[in-house]
Order: sequence, then structure tokens, then C-alpha cells
Amino acid sequence: MIEYIIKIKRKTKSLLRDPWVWRMAWRDGRHNASRLFLFIASMITGIAAVVAISSLNYSMQQELNRNAKELLGADLVIKSNKKFDSTFTALLDSAAVQQAANADMASMVMFMNTGQSRLVKLTALEGDFPFYGDLITLPDDSYAKVRTGRYAMLDESLATQYEVSSDDSIKVGSSIFRVAGVVRKIPGGGELTSTIAPVVYIAFSELDSTGLVQYGSRVNYNLFVKTKTEQETTDLLKRLRPEMKQRAYSFDTVEERKNDLGDGFRSVYRFFSLLAFVALVLGCIGVASSVHIYAREKRDEVAILRCVGSSGWQAFNIYFIQVFALGLAGSVLGAALGVGLQQLIPLAFGDLLPVELKFNVQWVAVGEGLILGVLISVLFTVLPLVAVRFVPPLSVLRTDFNAERVISKTKIVTLFLIVLFPVLAAAYQTRSFLAGSLFTAGLAVALGALTAVAAVLLWMIKRYFPRRASFIWRHGMANLFRPNNQTRVMLVTIGLGAFIISTLNIIQSSLLNQVEFTGNSNQSNTILFDIQSSQREGVLKLMDQYQLPRNQVVPIITCRLASVKGVPVEQIQKDTSLRIPNWALTREYRVTYRDSLHLSEELVKGKIQWRGGGVVDSVGVTISDGMQETLRLDVGDSLVFDVQGVPIRTFISGIRKVDWPKDPPNFIFVFPTGVLEAAPQIWVAATRITDTQNANRFQQELVMSYPNVSLIDLRLILSTIDELFGKVAVVVRFLALFSIITGLVVLAGAVLNSRFARVKENVLLRTVGARQRQIVRITLIEYGYLGLFAALTGMVLSLAAGWLLATFFFEIKFAVDVLELLAIAAGVMLLTVFIGWFNSRSVLNTPPLQVLRREG
Amino acid sequence: MPDIVLAAENLTKSFPSGEREIVVLDHVSFTVRQGEAVSIIGPSGSGKTTLLGLCAGLDVATSGTLSLMGFKLNAMDEDDRAYVRNQFIGFVFQNFQLLATLTALENVMVPLELRGEKGVEARARELLERVGLGDRTHHYPSQLSGGEQQRVAIARAFITAPKVLFADEPTGNLDEENATRITELLFQINREEKTTLVLVTHNLELAERTERILQMKGGKLVNERILTVA
Ligand SMILES: Nc1ncnc2c1ncn2[C@@H]1O[C@H](COP(=O)(O)OP(=O)(O)OP(=O)(O)O)[C@@H](O)[C@H]1O
Ligand SMILES: [Mg+2]
Repeated sequence: MIEYIIKIKRKTKSLLRDPWVWRMAWRDGRHNASRLFLFIASMITGIAAVVAISSLNYSMQQELNRNAKELLGADLVIKSNKKFDSTFTALLDSAAVQQAANADMASMVMFMNTGQSRLVKLTALEGDFPFYGDLITLPDDSYAKVRTGRYAMLDESLATQYEVSSDDSIKVGSSIFRVAGVVRKIPGGGELTSTIAPVVYIAFSELDSTGLVQYGSRVNYNLFVKTKTEQETTDLLKRLRPEMKQRAYSFDTVEERKNDLGDGFRSVYRFFSLLAFVALVLGCIGVASSVHIYAREKRDEVAILRCVGSSGWQAFNIYFIQVFALGLAGSVLGAALGVGLQQLIPLAFGDLLPVELKFNVQWVAVGEGLILGVLISVLFTVLPLVAVRFVPPLSVLRTDFNAERVISKTKIVTLFLIVLFPVLAAAYQTRSFLAGSLFTAGLAVALGALTAVAAVLLWMIKRYFPRRASFIWRHGMANLFRPNNQTRVMLVTIGLGAFIISTLNIIQSSLLNQVEFTGNSNQSNTILFDIQSSQREGVLKLMDQYQLPRNQVVPIITCRLASVKGVPVEQIQKDTSLRIPNWALTREYRVTYRDSLHLSEELVKGKIQWRGGGVVDSVGVTISDGMQETLRLDVGDSLVFDVQGVPIRTFISGIRKVDWPKDPPNFIFVFPTGVLEAAPQIWVAATRITDTQNANRFQQELVMSYPNVSLIDLRLILSTIDELFGKVAVVVRFLALFSIITGLVVLAGAVLNSRFARVKENVLLRTVGARQRQIVRITLIEYGYLGLFAALTGMVLSLAAGWLLATFFFEIKFAVDVLELLAIAAGVMLLTVFIGWFNSRSVLNTPPLQVLRREG
Repeated sequence: MPDIVLAAENLTKSFPSGEREIVVLDHVSFTVRQGEAVSIIGPSGSGKTTLLGLCAGLDVATSGTLSLMGFKLNAMDEDDRAYVRNQFIGFVFQNFQLLATLTALENVMVPLELRGEKGVEARARELLERVGLGDRTHHYPSQLSGGEQQRVAIARAFITAPKVLFADEPTGNLDEENATRITELLFQINREEKTTLVLVTHNLELAERTERILQMKGGKLVNERILTVA
């Protein structure tokens, strides 16, 4: 007998040059696309979430950058809390740059039309401010009038609130101003600042006449400088820097403002990035699991194809083409949807931000979304589809023939890329490779834990199988470990979905908790400050007269640091290796003295050495824990304060943990009594107001008799801040919702995917006479188990992940809303059961024969 | 053209089962000549389907050699065997095995399209006409009866003009009337196309229409009857 060559020279055709494969992909796919519905749904929601969130990110960054100059209003702003001295201003004048100036301070104003008064931010303006951005007033000439002298203008919201119109007058300190008009828009303004501290503007030259600037008043002086080029700003700064340092002036440039804004939004960016990443991961899970199931369903078909001679790669290509085409379509739809969603976000944001956001279509984000879509449709479909290549043709003869697992090169390469993918995606999103690797490691741990739980659970059910339970229970539980079932895959997918959703919830709670105000229960709700020593007795008497309690009456002394640990501040500033921020060294500290801990404080280290000792050599002071870290101080370190020109030698005797929002005022440095009594000082009094009418009368009398004393109604601020955070919470929840929807699609997908495995069994059960109710119960038991364990495992894992993320990634306090978490777990379980039930319905309502025939 | 198209020599197939090995095929040797019709009979579980799977290159033997059209199937990789199947072999199965997502016509076209041939539709139509389904070309398998599905499968098996046709209980799922029709069709086309036929069946009547009967028992070839066709 002749024997032929063993190795056949087949023409292995590439995907692109094999028209048969394309034709088959089309024929097979045309009536079949609905089986890939979940695949495309995961793709669409995942990509939509990514595109929407990263568009928002880009929009915000872009707008903040674009507006940084307008927010600042100038190229350079020099700041001081003293009047600028004349040698410095002369130096600046010689530079021949355009200048403007302002000064601002907190003050009470009284509206003469009604006699009401309120704490405002008083801003005295001089020159052609602003250089950038718009100052919009009503009427237009308001600022021109203000510059002439006895006129003032105020924020529109303030004018509306107190029904002030152009002809009215207001009393600021001891002067009365006519109202020239209202301010609609001003650089650095915005609803956020004006609701917390509404502004009244007067001319700079009028500030002294109000009599408000006294010892201890906190006045901020700003010099606005406009230069022609950025280079000029840099040169000017270089020349002025030593002069500014010497005088403890600080400055702000557009560049720094940009950085500050970036810092301010870092947590927000991080949260957005996390959301986008989560949406992406969920999308990938959805894609991979639905394709996995699709590939399983196609096994018989593949076996036939192999029988008639198609190669493994050809079979693979057929389904790959289908999935890839749908993946592309899904990405495009998702990107479009994302752009649409992004247009909705400004509605939620409203006017929360200090700048007006223009939500242009962010083509970079759209591009990213499409690229991600393509990557996902390749990476996460190849792995499950590769199995198709190894379907043994023998399965045509034996339906349940299972070939041994094949580990192919393609599989290994894809697996490697898949592991790499979230690392790179997270690294790209968070701009940090470490974060990316850690995110991925976290996911891998979660995946491993879920797989382990699934294995243990299955083992337990087999080991302790309730043999004597009713048929329904036995059958429902047995369904969990039948051959060829999906329990493991489902437990892992559902668990991962639950895990991610509840982790997100924990982060959201922690973020919101961080900004929530705890001040509502404060003992004091009203604070009187800037009380001169000479006014102290009078103000206290007035309080008594109106039956207002004296909760705190504390002295305040302003001082600066002269040296730290024996090194003069000027020297520390030069030594950058010490990493103590400049502002902490040069700022003005407002300190107090007292001989007990306040109720908002707790001593965490050292002692409270309350007495300076007889002959004062060195005084023991206590410091708040935050500032102790900033200044890198510890108990025993020495400090020299400059109190109005008098050096006072001190050392740190103890460290206090301060709950700042709780019962203000609170202090960074607290001196013992018996040291500063003789220094010039002002007083702050805290009280609690319950009767509003009484309070109004008190406030009126206070402003009349002591115009320089300011009163803060904390309730007003608290309610404003509450409202603000309410808005922030809405935005955060709204965005988190995107990711959660993706999660739900994955959940639904995981359960739906198991349907095809169950249909046949249920039909057989029905054929042998099971009643509808019995089948429904069996299904409910099976899915109830799955849902319960998946949700519980996911939740437990999310507690760990949430804590890690909150502590190390967001650097905020970990907070859990237990009720919400339980609700999520219950929701996941119910959803699992519901979809399981929903699936079995299609079996219940169709005659068995039809199903058997369809399934062949 | 070699006279012998299929040669099995000491074909053995065993499956691991716990500690022991189950020997399903035990040193089976036989040959099939070009144009012959051979049937394999035997009690259930005697290894008929296993033997057929090995002969058609759907599975690999544990030991022994098998050559089909001179190709040593055991020594080839799966994709090469697929190529051999496409070039030389046709199949008819007990449960039809049509692609559910393709119409009858498309099902028939697949093997030729796989070869990359053009103008296959006319040939597919002609074959469907021959099996009496000229008017059902655009129906899906689920819209056809079992007998009709098997006729589509036969059309698909013959479209490549295979050298060898393997059939495993082709009438097993059909009623008597349909079974007779399918049998007639199978033998008729087989004669016209001069195909070699290897048939596994329980049905002695069917078996007796072939020239040789190989009888299996417990994985061994126990008897070989040679019949002369009337
Ligand atoms: N993958 C496998 N693993 C273990 N044993 C197997 C496997 N495949 C087949 N067998 C066993 O091999 C034996 C022969 O099976 P085979 O299907 O070839 O018999 P058959 O003669 O076709 O029977 P029938 O007439 O019922 O179709 C059976 O006992 C079967 O249990
Ligand atoms: Mg058999």
C-alpha cells in the first residue's frame, strides 16, 4: 500500500484573505446577535461611562486652566496682612508695570433701609482692577462711582436678600455709604464664595475713615500687577522676592493658581478616575463572561464545522469577526452615549464651581473610549474564544465529550496582556504606575478570594448535602454542582460586581463624610470677634443684658515665628531640604492663653505645662497636631515667637488633637496664663443664640455701639455649607450611578448567561411532570444561594478594599454606611433571584417540545 | 489511485478510568477497498462509534495505525486531519448535526466553500433537488422534520464528492418510512458517485445491503461476513 506524505501543505489563509470566514460570520450572526446582547450592553455602558467621566475630567481641567488668569485677575498678586511699606511700593513703581490694589477684611454692615445687619467681606478697591476677566455691575457705572468716594456696591445676592436698591444707604464701621449698584460678576467671585461671605465694595481711600482697621483686625492687602509677558512676571518676581521675603509678603501667580486649583480638585479627579476605571473593569468582566458563554453555546456548531474540515483558527475567526464587529459598534454607540451624558452633567453641577464650565465635546476622551473599546473587544474576547479552536470534532458523535484543557500559546499571551491591561489602564487614569499595579493587585486578590469562596461553598454543599430535604431543595442545591454548570463563573462575576459596587459606595460615603459638617451640635452658634480690650467689658455686659451665655471669652494675640529649634526662620527658608512650607514660617499666628483644655481638644502627647514658672526663661506652649506635623516639631523642641517686636522663648510642652469645626474658636498655639497678659490683644466671645428676634435686637445694638466688632452667625454658614455639600453629593452620586449601571448590566449578564444551561434541564423536568411552581421554587433556591454568597463575599471584600482605598489613595477617613451596604447586598441578591426567575419563565410558558427542538 | 482506501492495523483505544484502563477497542485490524460498502454491527457499547470516530480521524487511537487514502491519521495534527476530512470524507450522523443558524442551502454549501471553491450554490441546489428538498432551500433546520434534516445532511456529505462516506446510525432517529427513504438515497448516491461507504448500524436489514459486515463485540472484531449483493 502506498503511503502519502504525512505533513500536508495546507494553505493557511489569514483572516483577511479568507472570504468564507467572513461569509460564515455574517450568516451565523444575522439571526443570532441577540445572544450577544449582553456583550454589546456591557460594551456600551462601560465605554459610555468612561467617555462621560473622562470628558468631564478634561473639561474641568481645561476650563480651570483657561480660567486661572481670570480667577486671579492679574499676572501677579502680592499679598500682605500689613499695609505695604513705601520702599516696597516705590520699588514696584520703578518697574513701570500696571498696578491695582485692594484690601479686604470681615466686617459688619448695617442696611439702613431695614436696620438689619450682617457679616460681610469688605473689599476696598483701587485702580483698574481687574486686568483679566470681567467686572460686571448693574448699573454699568457703579465702579466708577465707588472710586469717587462715598459710594459702595454689593454682591447681587446680598442686595437681593436684604432688598437693597440703588438709592439706599449702608453703614460700614462708622461711615455711611450710598449704594451705587450691584456686582454681578467679578474675578475670583462666584456663588460659592458669595454665599459664604458676601462682599461689599468700597474705595480703598475710604477704608481708614470707617475706623474698622484697628489693632488685631485681620486685613488682607493685595497688590495686583499686570505684566506684558510671562517672562516679565518671572523677572519681576526674581527682583522682588528677597524684598517680599524680608517683609513676609506672599504672592500668587497664574501658574500657582493653576496648581492650587488642581490640588483642590485632586480628590475629585481621583474619584472620577476610580469611577472610570471601575466602569472599565466592569465592562471587561461583562464582555469576557458573555463571550465565554457565547463560545460555550457555539461548541456544537464548531464541532460540526471541524468535522467538515474547517481548521481551528477558521472556526475561531468566524466568531471573532462577529464579536469584534459588535464590539466596534458598541464602542461607537457607547462613546456617543458618553458624549450625550456628559452634556447632562452641567445640569447636576449647576453653579457649584467658581468658573463657568463649557462642556465641549472632548475628542480626546472620545478617542480614548474608542481605543479602549477596540482593545477590550480584542483582549477580552480572544481568551474565551480561543477555546473554540480546541473543540474536539468527536463531540459530534458524543454530545458531552469534554476534551482535556489545552494551554495554547495564544492563551498565555492573551492572559499576560489581560493582566497588563488593567495595570496600564489604571496607571493611565491615575497617572501613576504604582496605583495601577495596586488596583490590579486588588482586583486579582478579590478574584482569587471569590474563586476560593466558590470552591469552598461547592465543597460544603456536597459534603453536607441535605439528603433528607424535600425534592425541591435537593434539586435546587444539586443544580449548583452539576457537571457543566456555571456556578463558579457566576459566583465570581456576581461577587465581583457586588464587590465593586459596594467599594464604590464606601468611597462615596467616606468622601461625603469627610465634608459633612459636624458643627450642628456645637455649644456655641454665634461668635463675636475683633473685640478690643477696652470694649470687652461693654460687650460682655451687652450680652448679659440680652441673656446670651458667655460660652467662651478668649484673648487673641498676634505673633510670628522668629526661630524654630534654635534656627532663625530666614535661615530655614533658605534651606529647602527641611521641607517646611514657607507659609507656615511666615504667617501670622493668632494665639491665646488659658489654663485648661477646651472641649474640642484632647492632649495626645506631652504635658500641659500651664505655668511659665517664676523667672521666665522658656515657656511651655501646646501645639495642634496638624501644625505640629507641618512644622516638623515634637515635644521639647524650642520656638521663639515675635510678639509685637518682643521675642518670647518657648518650647513645645504638649500636642493637642483639635476637632476644628467643633465649638470654635480653636487655636494652633496655646500659651499658659501668666505670660501674654500684658501684650496687646483683642477678644473673641462665643455664645448661643436661640431667640432670633432677641438676636436681631442684640445685633443692632452691637453694630451701633461697637461698629468694629463682627458677629458670625454659624447657623447661617452651616446651612449654606450643608446645601453646598448636598449639591456635591448629588454630583458624586450621579457619577457613581454610571458605574453602578455597568455593574448591574454585568450582574444581569452573569445570571442570564446561565440560562442556556438551565433551559434544557427545566424542560426535561417539565416533561417528566414537574409543576410550574416546583420549577420556579427550584430556580429561586438555586439563584438565592448564588446571590446570597456572591453578595456577602463581595461585601466583605469591599470593606477591606474600601479601607485601603480611603486610607492610602484618597487619604481620607474611612466611613461606612452600613445600611446602604446591606441594601446593596440585598439588592444584588434580589436581582440575581429575579433574573433567574425571569429566565425560567421563558421555559415555563413555552411547550417543552418547542424548546427541545430549538435546543436540538 | 490505491485500491485500499482505509486500513486499520491493531487499532486500540483505551480510556483511563480511575486506576484502571478501560479498553474499548482491542487490536482491531481490517481494510476497506475503493468503492466498497462496509457495515459495522454489534451490540450497544461494543465500540462501533469509537471505531468509526478513529477511522474518520475525529479521534486518535491509543496504539495501532490507521491510514486513510494513504494518510497516517495518527501522526497528523488536528488541523491537518480536518483538511483530510474536508478533501476526502463525508459524514452522516444519527442526530443530523446541521448548523442551526444556517439555512438548508447554506448548510450544504459549507464544505465546498471551505475549500474556497466558487459557484457552489448551483451544485448545492442540484443536490438538494436530488434529495427532494428543492423547495426547502431557505428553511432553517428547526423548520424541517428529522427525515428532511437527514436528507440535507446527506446532500452536505456528498457535495464534496467524497472518497469515503462515514455514517453512524443514519436512520437511528427516524421512523420506518423515512428510514427506508434515507437508506435508498444513501445507496443510490453512493452507487452513482462510486463512493466508499462505511456504515455503523443496529439494523441488520440495512447492514445486509452492504457487501461486507464487520461484527464487533466487546471492542473486538469477532466476525467478518462477505455478502454478494444481489
Ligand atoms: N470518553 C470515554 N470515556 C470512557 N469510556 C468511554 C468513552 N467513550 C466511550 N466510552 C466507552 O466505550 C464503550 C464503547 O462505546 P461506543 O460508543 O463506541 O459503543 P457503540 O458500539 O457505538 O454503542 P451504541 O450501539 O450504543 O452506540 C462504551 O462502553 C463506552 O462507555
Ligand atoms: Mg454508537
